[in-house]
Amino acid sequence: MEEFTPNIVGFLCNWCTYAAADSAGVSRFETPPSVNVVRMMCSGRVDPLFVLTAFLRGADGVLISGCWPGQCHYQKGNLHARRRTAMLKSIFDTLGLEMADRFRLSWVSASEAPRWARVVDEFTEHIEQLGPSSVYEELFL
Amino acid sequence: MRKGLRFNKGAEETVRELLRSLLESARVSGVLTLGRTGGADGGVAYSLFTDPDAFGTDGVALPLLPFMPANAGGLLSRLTLKRPLSEPIAAVVRPCELRAFIELVKLNQGSLDNILLISSTCGGVYPLDVGANGSLQERLPQYWEAVEQGELDDDVRSTCRACGSFVPENADITIALLGETDLEAQCTLYLNTEKGATFVDGLEGAEETPMPGDLETELIQRVYSQRAACQDALFAEVDVGLKGLIDTFGRCISCQACKTVCPICYCRLCYFDSQDCERPLEFYQGELKRKGGLRVPSDTVFFQLGRLAHMSASCVGCGMCTDVCPADIPVSTIFSKVGASVQALFDYQPGRDVEEEPPLRTFEAEELAQVVM
Amino acid sequence: MSDTDTAKCKGNRQAQTVGSGTALPAEDGVEAALVGWLKQTLDKRVFDAVLVPVEVPAGDSFAYLLLRDPAILDNASPLPPVMPIQGGKVISRLTMRGNGNQQPEAARIAAVVRPCEARAAVELAKLQQAHLDNLYLITIDCPGVLPLSDYIEDPAAGAARFAQAAAQRDRSPMRPTCQMCNHFSMLPAPISDLHVATLCSDGTLSIVPGSPEGARVLEEMDMPVETSLDGWAAQVEAMEQAQTERRQQAHAELRQTVAGADRLLDVFSSCINCHNCQRVCPICYCRQCYFESDALKLPPENYMARAERKGALRFSPDTLLFHIGRALHMILSCVSCGACEDACPMDIPVGQVFSLLADRAQETLGYVAGERLDEALPLVTYEMEELGHVEQPYVAIYREQEVQDA
Repeated sequence: MEEFTPNIVGFLCNWCTYAAADSAGVSRFETPPSVNVVRMMCSGRVDPLFVLTAFLRGADGVLISGCWPGQCHYQKGNLHARRRTAMLKSIFDTLGLEMADRFRLSWVSASEAPRWARVVDEFTEHIEQLGPSSVYEELFL
Repeated sequence: MRKGLRFNKGAEETVRELLRSLLESARVSGVLTLGRTGGADGGVAYSLFTDPDAFGTDGVALPLLPFMPANAGGLLSRLTLKRPLSEPIAAVVRPCELRAFIELVKLNQGSLDNILLISSTCGGVYPLDVGANGSLQERLPQYWEAVEQGELDDDVRSTCRACGSFVPENADITIALLGETDLEAQCTLYLNTEKGATFVDGLEGAEETPMPGDLETELIQRVYSQRAACQDALFAEVDVGLKGLIDTFGRCISCQACKTVCPICYCRLCYFDSQDCERPLEFYQGELKRKGGLRVPSDTVFFQLGRLAHMSASCVGCGMCTDVCPADIPVSTIFSKVGASVQALFDYQPGRDVEEEPPLRTFEAEELAQVVM
Repeated sequence: MSDTDTAKCKGNRQAQTVGSGTALPAEDGVEAALVGWLKQTLDKRVFDAVLVPVEVPAGDSFAYLLLRDPAILDNASPLPPVMPIQGGKVISRLTMRGNGNQQPEAARIAAVVRPCEARAAVELAKLQQAHLDNLYLITIDCPGVLPLSDYIEDPAAGAARFAQAAAQRDRSPMRPTCQMCNHFSMLPAPISDLHVATLCSDGTLSIVPGSPEGARVLEEMDMPVETSLDGWAAQVEAMEQAQTERRQQAHAELRQTVAGADRLLDVFSSCINCHNCQRVCPICYCRQCYFESDALKLPPENYMARAERKGALRFSPDTLLFHIGRALHMILSCVSCGACEDACPMDIPVGQVFSLLADRAQETLGYVAGERLDEALPLVTYEMEELGHVEQPYVAIYREQEVQDA
């Protein structure tokens, strides 16, 4: 299979995962250059329409990552994010869209830089196996 | 203990009489139900009636007509949007319309105060084009025959045939229709709440039946399984996958009529009508750098999936959307299928309980672990 | 209407003598010829992109595509059997936020549309909802379109029915507004940069320049403009006259059906207030329609009081208010395309009613929607002395009063 670098849009919460990603970079944990980071103040700020737009505009994968439940900087944003993720996946899945499998939610706290690297590795490999998303090309609508 | 009232007159007459005497006795100031708007060949619309004569034998009211020109849940929301009603009215609505209204009340788009909710075990409604082509009247005999058997006429909305929520849960009064033999000569009303009982207390012509049978008869139980099977078949018709999506919405013209008639879609300015979705020419020009061609206007599928993201948790499966689509897309089949999945995910039923929070407004500390990496 | 007013109306509308056109070989039919020509324009970079209806993958409808890849044109249909979205609305959505940044990919865009779609685009440009600077409007003689639901039921049969009717110049299967359309070509004055003349009696096809820009395009394509169009012009004029008579007849009959409150209510008795008509109308561009705004969302006491007054209130209310109000807002720009009627789920003849209102209202103000880009919208401008027949009764009454009081 042709090598391709997945184009993953990552919505990272400022207080936890973004900090972890920053820390991972400084500590020189190697990760594939697949994640395009969009810094959100909270994973709960991620509007489902952002995820949808990312996919429709050609993202091969979308990742939302935030603080662990109970540790959200704004108390409960991540708990809302979890429900929205579940709802979106259900919509994609029911309509038989591959996007269901290309969309993930993870919890990575600020002190878990190695975990961030693992999340990126794992998700990137998963997307590599799925191949590039054909949504942007095929969906002329 | 539920009380019931049995009348020795036909269902239609019973309901008309009930509404007429509610108005005449000033127990209610108005009744929201269906009525003729034009001449004999004219249309049918929901109306707020204040004149008891509308419910006489030659009156224009048609409370049990199997037709839904608008989802009455949305209409009750419109009526009570600014303030709760200060005088009582009665509203005759179908189970899905009732559920839509309760959803809207939860979403701060209306109030339940002062509304006597009357519903029925529902045999479905005909699609709008049956009303448009004038064949509604002539179908009524076969409709009622089917209802008495606990079945649905073949030509009612497909979402009706697949509906498992045909027993209204939050009505003050339920008219037993489905599976009731001899609706031409007798009719049973179930008084589900104190409110319902109080409103009809002392009305003439009703035999008190303090221990009626259960509303959910054996036949009703059988109907549940029939409808479930129908739903499976209907949902299987949805064209899945990316190709399915393209094929289904290829002829969508983004008129958004589906959204306009949807009772749940209440936003004053829909996101998809806002400036955010108005693309400058630069956008199209930019896209032409990456693609050989793209549709104008764009974002058709974005609107459909986006609307699903916004309202599928509250979709009551009424079927208004399919009926108004100028391109004959089976919108309600798709939306109620996705709605059912999303609702199952949260063990939620829209309109079941006015105290129950809509699923995306709340959360549990621990749940949905399968969603997290 | 006074004679002076009539003269003023007609003054702008002298039939222009049509010059010459350029012949286009059409052995395989009009669509194939036009598609071939469009491909050439893309190859020669005369146009950078083309906006044209293309068949959707499922084969059951058509969508406007903005394209620069000539291969996609293989599925294009410049004159499709249906009009799912009015082309004027499409042009507006494309250009409403401005003229773009002249990127080479799409600096010069050709839009292939029907005459009513072009006229709607012109109206929208005047309403600041479209910008036509980048656009080359290409119109085509139009046989009408089938009602959309007729076509979707059986697209193959629909396509055949359309082709046959178009060939025989038979408008009976078309939309009711198409059946009475008398603006199906480019005469008396061109509104587009190029017009495809298909109604020549000898079956030939010509492209007619309607503007200096259009003439330049033909020059760049090395297409000499030397074919006489007299035969075509005569044919079109004859057809237009016949259609005008038909239109007047249809409007006279229609007026009988709608005149008076009772009859108007009858026509709209099955209206479900879905507002499809407003949503598909190319002219209705308001982000939030007045008739859906808070202005008409009132406290329950208001509705109850109105219900008391007559014993009942249709709910949701304001059905006639919506239709007449919408007419007040847009009738002077209505191009009688019939998109509204196509979209109505209750088969109300709203397109026909609005075309009747449009003709009358536009005639009163000496205006024809979409005919001239340089003609101001009638409500935006005025003359010091005009429309005496509208004000005359009032002036007479007050003058009489003055005389009496003196």
